[in-house]
Amino acid sequence: YEQAIKVAEVRGEEVVPTVCGMCGPGGPGGGCGIYAFSKNGKFLRVAGMDECPNNRGALCAKAHTAPQWVYSRDRLTHPLRRIGRKGEGKFEKISWDEAIAHIAEVLLGQKREYGPESLAILSPAKRSYSEYLQRFAVVHGTPNYGHSGICVLQRVFAFMYTVADWPLPDTANSDLIIYWGRQPIYSGPVSSAARAFLEATQRGAHIIAIKPSVEPDAGMADTWVPVRPGTDAALALAMLHVVLKEDLIDHDFVARWCYGFESLKAHVRQYSPEWAQIITGVPATQIKGVARAYATCPRAAIDVGNGLEHAPSAGDAVRAIAMLMAVTGHLDRPGTNLLKLPPPKAPGDITLKHRFTRELVDKLVAPEFPKYFQPFLEGPTSAYYRIWESVLTQTPYPVRGIIAPGTQPLASTRGTRNVLAALERLDFFVVLDVARTPEIPWADIVMPVATGYETDHPFQYGPNWLMSTNRVINPLGPYKSMFEFFLDLGKAMDYGDDFWQGDITACMDEQLAPLGVDMAGLRQHPVGLAFSSARHEYEKFDRVFQRPSTRLDKGPFLPQGKVALYNTTFEQAGYPPMPEWREPPEGITATPDLTRTYPLIFSDYHTSKNFSASWQRNVPFLRELEPDPMLHIHPDTAGTRDIKDGDWIKVTSPHGWLRVRAQLYPGIRPDTVMLLHGWWQGCEELKMADYPLTDGGANVNIMYSVDPEKAYDPMVTAMTSQTLVEVEKCRRTK
Amino acid sequence: MQEDEMNDLTREYMIKFYPERCIQCHGCETACKMWRGLPYGVQYRRVINLWEGSYPGVKSHGLSLSCLHCSDPACAEVCPVEAILKQAEDGRVRVDTTLCIGCRACAEACPFGVPQFGEDQVMQKCDLCVGQALAGTDPPCVATCPGRALVLEEVTLEEKKAYETFVAKALKGNG
Repeated sequence: YEQAIKVAEVRGEEVVPTVCGMCGPGGPGGGCGIYAFSKNGKFLRVAGMDECPNNRGALCAKAHTAPQWVYSRDRLTHPLRRIGRKGEGKFEKISWDEAIAHIAEVLLGQKREYGPESLAILSPAKRSYSEYLQRFAVVHGTPNYGHSGICVLQRVFAFMYTVADWPLPDTANSDLIIYWGRQPIYSGPVSSAARAFLEATQRGAHIIAIKPSVEPDAGMADTWVPVRPGTDAALALAMLHVVLKEDLIDHDFVARWCYGFESLKAHVRQYSPEWAQIITGVPATQIKGVARAYATCPRAAIDVGNGLEHAPSAGDAVRAIAMLMAVTGHLDRPGTNLLKLPPPKAPGDITLKHRFTRELVDKLVAPEFPKYFQPFLEGPTSAYYRIWESVLTQTPYPVRGIIAPGTQPLASTRGTRNVLAALERLDFFVVLDVARTPEIPWADIVMPVATGYETDHPFQYGPNWLMSTNRVINPLGPYKSMFEFFLDLGKAMDYGDDFWQGDITACMDEQLAPLGVDMAGLRQHPVGLAFSSARHEYEKFDRVFQRPSTRLDKGPFLPQGKVALYNTTFEQAGYPPMPEWREPPEGITATPDLTRTYPLIFSDYHTSKNFSASWQRNVPFLRELEPDPMLHIHPDTAGTRDIKDGDWIKVTSPHGWLRVRAQLYPGIRPDTVMLLHGWWQGCEELKMADYPLTDGGANVNIMYSVDPEKAYDPMVTAMTSQTLVEVEKCRRTK
Repeated sequence: MQEDEMNDLTREYMIKFYPERCIQCHGCETACKMWRGLPYGVQYRRVINLWEGSYPGVKSHGLSLSCLHCSDPACAEVCPVEAILKQAEDGRVRVDTTLCIGCRACAEACPFGVPQFGEDQVMQKCDLCVGQALAGTDPPCVATCPGRALVLEEVTLEEKKAYETFVAKALKGNG
């Protein structure tokens, strides 16, 4: 910090230590400390905070470009009320208070007429304001918190109901690490996971990357397992098959801590490596090799990423992997996957969990998990995409009002055409964001919100760091923060008692109370408070396996107090007790007939080196790193189609077509092509226009099936990211 | 040129790149652009992905590349107005912006694609942030790197030449 002060001094600038806000709109996400430099009220640039244990002075590409995001021409600065017809994009400026009053009036009216469940709040990625949305929903009386079905909860659900924890890899002590559908770099290049990855490569740990294409992490791995997109469950089941058939198990652990071993052993006999080779495209010999290497290495861990969550068998893929960890004894031992206990101290939870009731859960319009398993960790949740479907199908009832706080339904969820149709039909739609989003033309009210650089809250809490957000500059217009929006709206709707009567400081202080500090006190520590992490206690099976579930009955995640190799809870709820393979809606082995017209597998990347999901393509220095949507295609696959590097190409699936550019990419399966998701926004500063949201654009969501029977995992409503396509050169060039 | 005599006097500084520590986050690129206030389209530093092998035995690694301040800079050699000079005291290759006529001969000659041109058509590139008000801290590209893949170092002429060969080879291998 002292150095940053000196730098500011010699430049005649001011420096404020605070938290980076570039992982998403409306609130910090990643939790990296920054020094923010400004002059005469203008935000100029940032540097990484040395004292922050998360990033230790380093910053990613996004973090540095924050001022360009703040001052972007796409920035929203005034609350708006729609005056044209839906989709036309005609608005009038109104004040923040007028907008709040209007929203409150409409939502209260809908509540009276249709019941509170007629309101849905769409979840952004997990952000620092997520709990406020949950709280608002609970106070209003709606369970319809719309979780995207894109990330994390599929993993957590499957892990919790198999080993009662999400066991993260003990990367620092592993001799062998499998990165499975995981992007340790793009998911946070300056975070501990990326650092641990780099350290592991340098100390010579054996790194295995399982994914369809070679990104920088797989490029540095010792072994690349080029699995076909969406087939990870088949691969995991075959690895289980090998481990059980060859008896590469931890007999003591299995006997003492696993339930249903013999059933599982009989069950996975059908999933041989030779069977899996046909589905996954991974040679049987490699499947056997990886299974043996993992099972026989005492300090071996698996880092499971988002890549395998986008498939109809997403949950079963994760369950099978959790079982691999368990039967081979790779749980809660040094260098394996660790079970965690909650930290002794944490900020207060504000999601009003004690008010979750059966009545609330029963009102879910589209349960993300079956109702019996609700609420899950975040509370009751509806599947994001199916909330939109309810507007069209009116089944089981139509949602009438939707709030979209920092989320982009036309770019972030499947079935863009259905979302467009639903936007036309929806009674009331509110968008809150930092910058323009694609669905704003359909919004009734648009609320600009402050970036993290324009507010003095919230606090940032990582397990090792507590830091207040400090204001760098004043807001650029008459708007407030995402947090203040929900406090103000709560107060306007007569929910003031549950929203600190609109007092943001009181709200922050209440949450901080368990940590023995308040916001004013925390601000006395300019670079926050760093905590040392407690020494890990190994082999806590007796305690963790007894953990109560989040269900209303609070029954344990594991009824036998053992790893659920055979899952009696799922069986009783009418779901398969053991993991199974389900084909994606389209695929080489799923729909071989289709391969005559569409011979290539298509999938998309969830993370990128320079954008937060579908945001920030308007930031010039980020856009320069990746100006155009590039389809990764193997040079041989491109060659047979006369496609050269950089050519504009047409990618056609049974559901839609895209116009993107080809990037000849040696590190991808020749039968697979992949594109980054989230393309829609132009960059005015670089004179780049928006892309069409449907055919002819670059929005991957239009490419996939949304058939409710085929496209979703039945237990976790994960949406598939696999289809078949053909690729051809565009005649028209730009 | 009396190369041998010059070399004895020259101190050589450079921002050295350690490929095994680079995760290709591109933080160095945007740090440079923000701290130097560069216009759109101008980059002093860029991260390139380099491929090795063929499917399925494919590997890749990153290369974060900026001006190498070469031992014997090709850009200076071809500059018709002698606007590019290698400084003896620190080995930096500097551009005299008042002399540059924007002919871009340097861009043609540089094997590493370093010379950049903004609206003023004057050559610009990495100058190791000498003279920037950084209060003695590392250049922003170095400071921001999570893996410490970039390090500002004094090197010997032999080390610099070896580094030039390494970069040339890496770029060539990538086609």
